[in-house]
Amino acid sequence: MRKYSTLLFSALFVSASLFAQEAPKKERQQGHTDQNKFRQLKDVLATPNDQRTASGAPGHAYTQQKVDYVMNLRLDEATDRLYGDEDITYHNNSKDHLEYLWLQLDQNMRAPDSKSPLAESKGATGFQTPDKFVSENMDKPKAFGFNIEAVKYADGRDLPHTINRTMMRINLPKPLAPGEVFKFRIKWNYLINNSVEDGGRSGFESFPDGNKNYTIAQFFPRLCVYNNVEGWQNMQFWGRSEWALEFGDYDVKITVPADHVLDATGELQNEKEVLNKEQRKRFEKARKSFKNPVFIVTQKEAEENEKQGTTKTKTWHFKANQVRDFAFASSRKYIWDAMAVNINGKTVMALSLYPKEGNPLWEEHSTRVVANTLEEYSKMTFDYPYSKAVSVHAKRQGMEYPMICFNYGRPNPDGTYSDRVKNGMIGVITHEVGHNFFPMIVNSDERQWTWMDEGLNSFVEILAELDYDPNFNTGNLPKDIVRYMSLDQNKLSPIMSQGDYVHNFGPNAYTKPAAGLYMLRQTIMGPELFDYAFRTYSKRWMFKHPTPADFFRTMEDASGMDLDWFWRGWFYTTDYTDIGIKEVKPLYLTNKPNKETKKLQQQYPSYFAQLGKLVYLTTDKEDADKSEVEAYIKGLSSDKKASLKDIPNYMYQVEFEKPGGLVMPIIVELTYADGTKKRETFPAQIWKKNEHKVYRVFTSSQEIKSIVVDPDLETADIDTSNNSWPKQTTNKFDAFKNKAKN
Amino acid sequence: MKKLFVLLLILPLLSFTLHKYYVALTEIEYREDTQSVQMIMNVFMDDIELAINKDHNTNLKIATKNELKSIDEHFYKYLKTHFKVIINNEEKAYKFIGKEYDGNIVYFYLEIENVSLPKSIKIENDILVDHFPDQQNLIKASVKKERKSLFLSSDNYKGLLNF
Repeated sequence: MRKYSTLLFSALFVSASLFAQEAPKKERQQGHTDQNKFRQLKDVLATPNDQRTASGAPGHAYTQQKVDYVMNLRLDEATDRLYGDEDITYHNNSKDHLEYLWLQLDQNMRAPDSKSPLAESKGATGFQTPDKFVSENMDKPKAFGFNIEAVKYADGRDLPHTINRTMMRINLPKPLAPGEVFKFRIKWNYLINNSVEDGGRSGFESFPDGNKNYTIAQFFPRLCVYNNVEGWQNMQFWGRSEWALEFGDYDVKITVPADHVLDATGELQNEKEVLNKEQRKRFEKARKSFKNPVFIVTQKEAEENEKQGTTKTKTWHFKANQVRDFAFASSRKYIWDAMAVNINGKTVMALSLYPKEGNPLWEEHSTRVVANTLEEYSKMTFDYPYSKAVSVHAKRQGMEYPMICFNYGRPNPDGTYSDRVKNGMIGVITHEVGHNFFPMIVNSDERQWTWMDEGLNSFVEILAELDYDPNFNTGNLPKDIVRYMSLDQNKLSPIMSQGDYVHNFGPNAYTKPAAGLYMLRQTIMGPELFDYAFRTYSKRWMFKHPTPADFFRTMEDASGMDLDWFWRGWFYTTDYTDIGIKEVKPLYLTNKPNKETKKLQQQYPSYFAQLGKLVYLTTDKEDADKSEVEAYIKGLSSDKKASLKDIPNYMYQVEFEKPGGLVMPIIVELTYADGTKKRETFPAQIWKKNEHKVYRVFTSSQEIKSIVVDPDLETADIDTSNNSWPKQTTNKFDAFKNKAKN
Repeated sequence: MKKLFVLLLILPLLSFTLHKYYVALTEIEYREDTQSVQMIMNVFMDDIELAINKDHNTNLKIATKNELKSIDEHFYKYLKTHFKVIINNEEKAYKFIGKEYDGNIVYFYLEIENVSLPKSIKIENDILVDHFPDQQNLIKASVKKERKSLFLSSDNYKGLLNF
């Protein structure tokens, strides 16, 4: 009974066109496939299997390769060359026989015969500085790239191999069987690039005093990932899309000038040989200092140390277990500070290396930001499993490696700096230290899916930055992605695109996924459900290789929420949010049927007869009459009467429109005559049957003065001019002009 | 050249930056009641600072304690060179009402007075294009509730809107 009358009400105001629709069409329409925004992703995601389950977890047959490295490295400061002897032990944990192994030779991306510059469309530009013209047209290319001196079996015989640009194939004499181990050695060297002049994620910076700051990474031939998704990772390194790597154990000895201070991935094995007694004492102090960093090398000591230089050398020895890569930083310019961080009862060290040029900014913030990042990320994911995290100052780099990262943020020569430089530095350190979690530990494939580590990392970065400074401008919130999402469609790519060809790489792979996850957490799922699912994903895929499907599936499986519509819209398309208010109709309770209802009553008399007495809604204020409902209430029991709310004096039918392609929750803020406000949120599923317009009726005992959709800019709505009723009349320009006048 | 420089030298370094795309939005509204054209342009602070510092051989130090006193003159001069508004086939001078900072974004408030109802608005906008080849300049204009927009870029920096 109740259901029928509701149906009639809606028939009255919403589907006045019901009759029109029944008019016969001249042409028969074609059929269609399921294009509903809420259709499931099953035909898009890979079929689950016993290595990757439908719940998004690693399956019972999941395997992963392991690669161990023993390396002896020598840095020649005079020629900027790095020499390496590398012993590799490859563990075939898969169930497959491998005919060959593939390694990555990242340095070859900048070799003279690199195809990266040739793969750029490049017309003439009208103007150019002379130095650029000379370097472009007259300079000989520098002899960058790996010089592979030898590839040998462990016993010293030559091992057949083939170099294909940034990759090298080891041609095994016989296939490597499941469970077998293969040992081989590579001897190599290369010319280190000047990262300020030549660019690069690693390299060196040369200072006017002749000293250098070496930030060294991607420096050795590294095994590609072999798994059940890609087979061998077989996409070249073009320079943008980063890499996928296997976990393993590292034992590395690095020989550098004796006056250098050095830190690297892993635990230092020979502290007594490379640090003096005072430095070791200070380190002991730092291991117990949880509030403030302790200097291991002070600025004064660093300034003294950088004056001379030496031809003597020193060897630093590090070991690191279960890491996917190795990097180090070395210079005689370094100031060095460290503090202890309590991660759920375990002490982890936060450290920074920086030349005096980084101060005073770096001694104030770097190590503290490292500590804060480890704490906040551990809350959102898992306890940080490594023993330390190092932030190294670099002029222009922001780049992550296990336990060590290179970060920009340099004050002016007089030591002053703007808030932008400071915030940029806090942001980059949080971001790069955060990469320890994604992808150093949750080891997604960045060559294929940039967003899986950049996006997830930029998302957790928001929370860590706001914890460090509640007023921090993170630049990764839903409101921050609106400008990007309003761009011309030919400048946009779906997040689910391979990184080398996407337009506007930054907002595409960093900001948009981060803003989307923030929206999921704050607006769509709520922190409790989101955090449990996000932590589940992080823990499930610790030290493993997740794919996008594993993330999407886990987030749904662990939260009990179907989010296929969100993944499909936000990650697989370039659609944008635009939801607004099309029309608001005040309605009144009445005893008089309107014209359409009268027509229906004549058409279906027996149906209406069985309904008995009816009340109606009208847009005609003169017809307002509550007597029928009041009479009905009078007849109720006193208990029932006492439980009822006030009879609504004001009713409003709101038609919501959705010019944008994305479905999103409708967040409505009602402002009443007395100034009080009320929020109502309708889930995205409100759009499930009609994605262009939906209706809601709001009832109230007092007049509603205004209605606003998405008042806090949570949904990245790209056009808010249709978000208010009545239309916003305050003009931003006039407001500014008046303010400027006064 | 620029593009190669940007792609090969800048991008590989950017595992992180404050912003990594190049766009400026100008909202233009004709107000019948005051017979004026109100324009609000927003640009990324870092980009406009780099462009003006190079073009005017200066150091603005935007949004710092040492910000150049004459910064508004630099902004206005730069805008007059790179952003032109032609209404009903006549180039119109605009006033620089002021600027506002919000995070990493600068808002410019510009106004043209004594304008009769625009039938056409032509925009020439090559703001930042010299320095950032990927720069896109979006224009959103509204005249008597009719809304139109333009996407301008280095190879296409002029556009005409008819109302």
